[in-house]
Amino acid sequence: MRLEFNEDQTTFLTFLGLMLDSPDAGFRTVADWGRFDYGAALDARLAENGFFEAAAEKELGAVAAATMIHEIAQSPVTLECAASALLRPFLGNDLPRPVAVVVDDAPGAVRFLPVARTLVSINQAGVRIAQPEADAVEAVESLYAYPMGRIDMKAQDWVLATLDPVRARVLWQGAVAAELAGTLKGGLKSVLAHVRDRHQFGRPIGSFQAVQHRLAINGIEIEAARMQMLKAAQTQLPHDSCLALGYAQGLARRAIYDFHQFMGAMGLTLEHPLHRWTYRARLLRAEMGGPSEAYGRYATQRWGAA
Amino acid sequence: MDFTWTAEDAAYRQRVRAFLERELPSNWPDIARHGPGSAEQTAFSLEFCPRLAEAGLLVPHWPRDWGGAERPAWEHLILGEEMWRAGEPRGAQYMNVNWIGPVLMRFGTEAQKQQYIPEMAQGKAIWCQGFSEPDAGSDLAALRTRAVRDGDHYVINGQKIWTSYAAHARHCFLLAQTGGAEGGRSGIAIFLVPMETPGIEVRAIPSLIGHGDIHEVFFTDVRVPASTRLGAEGEGWSIITYALANERVGIPRYEMGAAEVDRMVGLLKERGRFCDSVVRMRAAEAAAACEAARLLVYKVVDQRARGAAPGNEANLARYAVVTAEHLVTDFGMDFLPDTFSGGEHASFLSHHERAIVTGIAAGAAEIQLNLVARRELNLPKEP
Repeated sequence: MRLEFNEDQTTFLTFLGLMLDSPDAGFRTVADWGRFDYGAALDARLAENGFFEAAAEKELGAVAAATMIHEIAQSPVTLECAASALLRPFLGNDLPRPVAVVVDDAPGAVRFLPVARTLVSINQAGVRIAQPEADAVEAVESLYAYPMGRIDMKAQDWVLATLDPVRARVLWQGAVAAELAGTLKGGLKSVLAHVRDRHQFGRPIGSFQAVQHRLAINGIEIEAARMQMLKAAQTQLPHDSCLALGYAQGLARRAIYDFHQFMGAMGLTLEHPLHRWTYRARLLRAEMGGPSEAYGRYATQRWGAA
Repeated sequence: MDFTWTAEDAAYRQRVRAFLERELPSNWPDIARHGPGSAEQTAFSLEFCPRLAEAGLLVPHWPRDWGGAERPAWEHLILGEEMWRAGEPRGAQYMNVNWIGPVLMRFGTEAQKQQYIPEMAQGKAIWCQGFSEPDAGSDLAALRTRAVRDGDHYVINGQKIWTSYAAHARHCFLLAQTGGAEGGRSGIAIFLVPMETPGIEVRAIPSLIGHGDIHEVFFTDVRVPASTRLGAEGEGWSIITYALANERVGIPRYEMGAAEVDRMVGLLKERGRFCDSVVRMRAAEAAAACEAARLLVYKVVDQRARGAAPGNEANLARYAVVTAEHLVTDFGMDFLPDTFSGGEHASFLSHHERAIVTGIAAGAAEIQLNLVARRELNLPKEP
């Protein structure tokens, strides 16, 4: 048991931190009050410097990749990182990215599809890969701060990947758990800055115990979600990834509610980035069937069938 | 970063588990039902802990000079997890092992060390902690019990309350004011008081958590030698801060909760109820909360193992343990109500009784939230 990052991971995360401190990762409003700002410049810099290949490198591994997903998710820009960092290295780093993922042929719009150059399908039968033509994707206007799109899954030229579908699901559960934990942390940091500065009744609203306690509970649970996703990334065991995803999804509802309550009317505007985190989190909370599905799968892993 | 146990750690866990399976009597769950401060469990711990000590499983993390083996922090955690999984058969003696002994080693005089530590290492000592008072609970620095110097003695007057194990303890780790009338942190000193000293009266308080678990302790003109003082006058608060940092570190209560979830699921399966998706989800939710608490406690232990200065992790961990305890109890009560209401299942009831204490004893859950808000989230202090 050793819970500190190794030297390579620390260096990797230090450089990542420098990139995330740059204006490329900062908040700016989007033309026509669009709900998301795709971080294309940051994405290109990360790709150029090989950050998306970390999971396959021995000294960095899935822990560094999961932490990268978690850190990037705290940024107000939207970036396809989860699939690229934790799934693509095990499918083949030559696959063009960004990558969109569909699990169990779930209907509806797919995150990142309008920008994706690779589409991955994970279901019980296997892991399949397609490279959809741009005109095959119908972009969908969405509340959820991601580029969203639909595609005719049956019309794609699928190639069966060699990656075991059980392992693929484990990796993807861990990746989504990492993204959700980071997204919630980004929202929390934004709210903390607000309640420190905003004064009412002659004092910062963050000095009221009623506010402090709820944010403290969120802080504790978001940190526990980070630890669970790190464990899932490191062990790559199905029960750990189910638990990490279920836990992060389970705490998201209350966290999102609290963040908006404490941000007040400012959080209703598109001039403030809070919605970037909370609406992404709403969608991630529902990914792969939401917490009931993740916990149900955990129950099967841990205690077997009825 | 590595969340897996080494082969040596796994073997150590097996050794502890095998010892417990061999040495705990079949009626242990019934003994535990009386509560950790009961006469039954105290008597049991005085018979059981010497056996643990003999096997090298009571204070393996202590220095060799004091009966330990200087084993790593992670082994101490594993030992604690297995003890809690088995219902914590060390009873009151967990305090000696976790913090009273280490505090004496660090701050005690040579005579105090020689007098108290060996019997702790042998599993023969029961102590109580004289901290809380009627007007000093979460605000511990407001305590009023006073020790007045009289030659080479102190005369102690005051009242302690909610004192666990007091009826059976041979010594009290007592906080008292020795400073001026203004009181507060700077006037606090610590005394190691023999409980048979004239002037000490212990009254048990009937409680929800087992007979003999909490007490009032009255000190009326209790005369103790100055040599019972631990550290200097006015040094008590810094010693107690060190002590609480140790007490609050790495108590793996979540392991008892996780074990109860396993037992509850086993029973639900026997009854054919574990096919219900709601039941399965709730079981997993309770297990997830135990895992969350576990990983936050592991952060504390990891810091310790690396020799890093304690941060705020213990405050986060303590709150997570409270959440886990309640989710486990609620899960059992919701789907196995008869085993609670009919008193059929001793370990469920023991866990249920302890769960209510978890958020109150050794620093209320809300105090942990205050500390997390201020120290971890950097929120402004209430005016």
